[in-house]
Amino acid sequence: MDETRANLDERPLGGIRVADFTWVWAGPFCTLQLAHLGAEVIRVESAQHPCVTRLLPPWPEGQPGLNRSGYFNQYNQGKLSLALNLKHPEAVTVAKDLVRVSDVVCENFAFGVMERLGLGYEELRKVRPDIVMISMSGYGCTGPEREYVSYGPAQVPLSGLSSLTGYRGSPPMHVGISYGDPTAGLHAAVAVLAALWHRERTGEGQFIDLSQWETTIAVIPEAVIQYGWKQTQPERSGNRDPSMAPHGIFRCAGEQRWVAIAVRNDVEWKALAQAMGREDLAHDPKFATVAGRKANEDEIEAVLESWTRQRSPREVTEQLQAAGIPCFPCYDSRDIAQDRHLRESGFFVELDHPEVGRKLHLGIPWRMSETPCQVSRPAPCLGEHTERVLREILGYPPERIAQLKEAGVLT
Amino acid sequence: MLTAGAMAGGALSGLRVVECGSLVAAAYATKLLADLGADVIKVEPPEGDPCRWRGPFPGEACNPEQSGLFLYLNANKRGVVLDLRSASGQERLHELAQGADLLVHNIHPSLMEGCGLSWPDLRKGNPRLILVSITPFGLQGPYAHYQATDLVAWAAGGLAYLNGAGPGSDDLPPLKPFGNQAEFQAGLNAAVAALGALFARRRKGCGQHVAVSMQECVASILELTFEYYPYMGLIASRLGQKPIQPLDFLPCRDGWIFVCCVEEHQWQRLVELMGNPDWAALEIFSNRIARAQNWDALKLLLSEWTQTQSVEELYRAGQARRIPLAPVSTMGDLFRSEHLQTRGFFAVLHQPSCKAAIIPGAPYRFQKGGWELRRPAPRLGEHNAEVFAEIRSNHG
Repeated sequence: MDETRANLDERPLGGIRVADFTWVWAGPFCTLQLAHLGAEVIRVESAQHPCVTRLLPPWPEGQPGLNRSGYFNQYNQGKLSLALNLKHPEAVTVAKDLVRVSDVVCENFAFGVMERLGLGYEELRKVRPDIVMISMSGYGCTGPEREYVSYGPAQVPLSGLSSLTGYRGSPPMHVGISYGDPTAGLHAAVAVLAALWHRERTGEGQFIDLSQWETTIAVIPEAVIQYGWKQTQPERSGNRDPSMAPHGIFRCAGEQRWVAIAVRNDVEWKALAQAMGREDLAHDPKFATVAGRKANEDEIEAVLESWTRQRSPREVTEQLQAAGIPCFPCYDSRDIAQDRHLRESGFFVELDHPEVGRKLHLGIPWRMSETPCQVSRPAPCLGEHTERVLREILGYPPERIAQLKEAGVLT
Repeated sequence: MLTAGAMAGGALSGLRVVECGSLVAAAYATKLLADLGADVIKVEPPEGDPCRWRGPFPGEACNPEQSGLFLYLNANKRGVVLDLRSASGQERLHELAQGADLLVHNIHPSLMEGCGLSWPDLRKGNPRLILVSITPFGLQGPYAHYQATDLVAWAAGGLAYLNGAGPGSDDLPPLKPFGNQAEFQAGLNAAVAALGALFARRRKGCGQHVAVSMQECVASILELTFEYYPYMGLIASRLGQKPIQPLDFLPCRDGWIFVCCVEEHQWQRLVELMGNPDWAALEIFSNRIARAQNWDALKLLLSEWTQTQSVEELYRAGQARRIPLAPVSTMGDLFRSEHLQTRGFFAVLHQPSCKAAIIPGAPYRFQKGGWELRRPAPRLGEHNAEVFAEIRSNHG
């Protein structure tokens, strides 16, 4: 038995088991949330076709390896791994046995893949009638483009987010990460939890169809609504904001050091001008209102940056936060790793991993007062828990496991 | 157990939620719950949620009953006005909290006590209450008292540093994405944690205080970039080269296309689509890593060809060959999309105070108890009388 089982049972989803057929980032980010809440998440994966994130850097010492990627190891913390080559007919039987004792099935393959594997919802509900199953494909399970292929980075332009993001008067831009993936993953976690809540009250499971395209559009409502009303969309405006000024990211002293500053109202503007030692600006009627500051934003930004350029992001932040103004350094990954606030607040996870050792990982972005949740184990090595899952959870006798191994099902 | 109400409504019907939300984060968390059937009562200060002034507006003028972002976030909720700076306002908030399962807010930690949001007091009144506090930097640690907006949280979580103009344009600042993405991420995480706490309550019988940090929510989605530091001592930046290419925007004759070739077979099919130009056989473009190292040259060559294409034709031709190309959609493209229309994604919000608004609809399709638009967003203070009459009758 698992040494942490007793603790797990105290967590919100203790006793809930997830058969996790997801891969890349969107799906694993959904099941990461469930693992954070204490669900037993079993990733079904295969060395024959490993998760893309196992094949991408970063790797310690630059040495690749299926269990060495920081990308995989970040987003699969707290999960178990069952190696199963789903191309093998016997594997489908094993997968169904797993679903029979699971509460949730998650997958984010392209539409139709699970059906072709013989693991579509209609098949799975036969073995587990109250299963909650979510499909998180790029385009959803209905509609003329449901067969289209999609990767996370492509959701940013597809959703319209790129056409809205960029410097003034310049081409559309990306947002820096495959933003469609975590946005879909979190929406999926909400959906799964709500469907489990429904199941608790009614005994009914169900199938949920999530389209990554749609969940990304869900977070740009301002532009959608403006278009519906006016058939126009917001212009790309860099870091500016329609109702706050100044509002931007400003250069500081040093190589590529930047600070974000947002002035929400006239009182904060006055405080900012005074913090810069510019009483004249604090009392200049031209800048007294947001309309005035928006009309003279180039000038304000130039003044502000000439002040931030003389200072470090930390100095600017301490001075402006003391005056109640929202401001923070533009952190890079080293800043985050070394941040004393994040360290003290208990965000980081450092657990021993058999192949990469103790590496710093990002943990759970919330705290619960009565049922504290912690990452219980590092990301699994591929197939690390195959035997255990088959023996303890599926109750297979040793001969059966040996036979499956022999037949190449467990790779 | 099974009740008539549970059968009839959404997956979360029967849940009672109080929200003291400003702008997006708390409001999106409770919108996710309201859209699945929870009864959400939004508490606003007398001057209204600042989101009422954010727009977009159907006309030229700002009108607090017509702000598109507010309407989207607060449809399906009832609204009351309480002045939480006054003792009577706090008393009423506690009355609401006594009958609630969840209280979700994003009031700054420095103002919580002064607004009646003291956890020990709320818990005394209702031990089963779950209080969800969404704050810029959490409730503990040296920056817990710091102020942040969406932009500032995006920078603090490390995401701003990753985006903006690439190599050779280091005088341009890091670039935020459109809208309120840090706030949306915080709202999503808060909804996950709130639902989790409800399951915990079923098991343990007690409510609890859940603290959500916007900074941590943003840091949680740094993709593969954060681990470059602990794993390799490297710092990812917008100025660096991408690990693989093509994964970039290219110009067409009528707009932009995002060219995405992750796997070798996708690149090979793109080369076929281009008519097998001689340069595609060059050693410097022979694999995805080489293509990234020589992206400046390759981008020029590819652009020469894409400029002769239309976005629509190229997108369809690519997808027909299983190349994951994507158009740089405008809002007009989304509205005209046959796929989204067939799925019925956009919803119409009928609002008595203004022209109907077209909004993003169900982010997921349930078979039972799913997303539903049941009522418009509340006018400021619209339900004061109704909600407090309910409370009095419950007490009686």
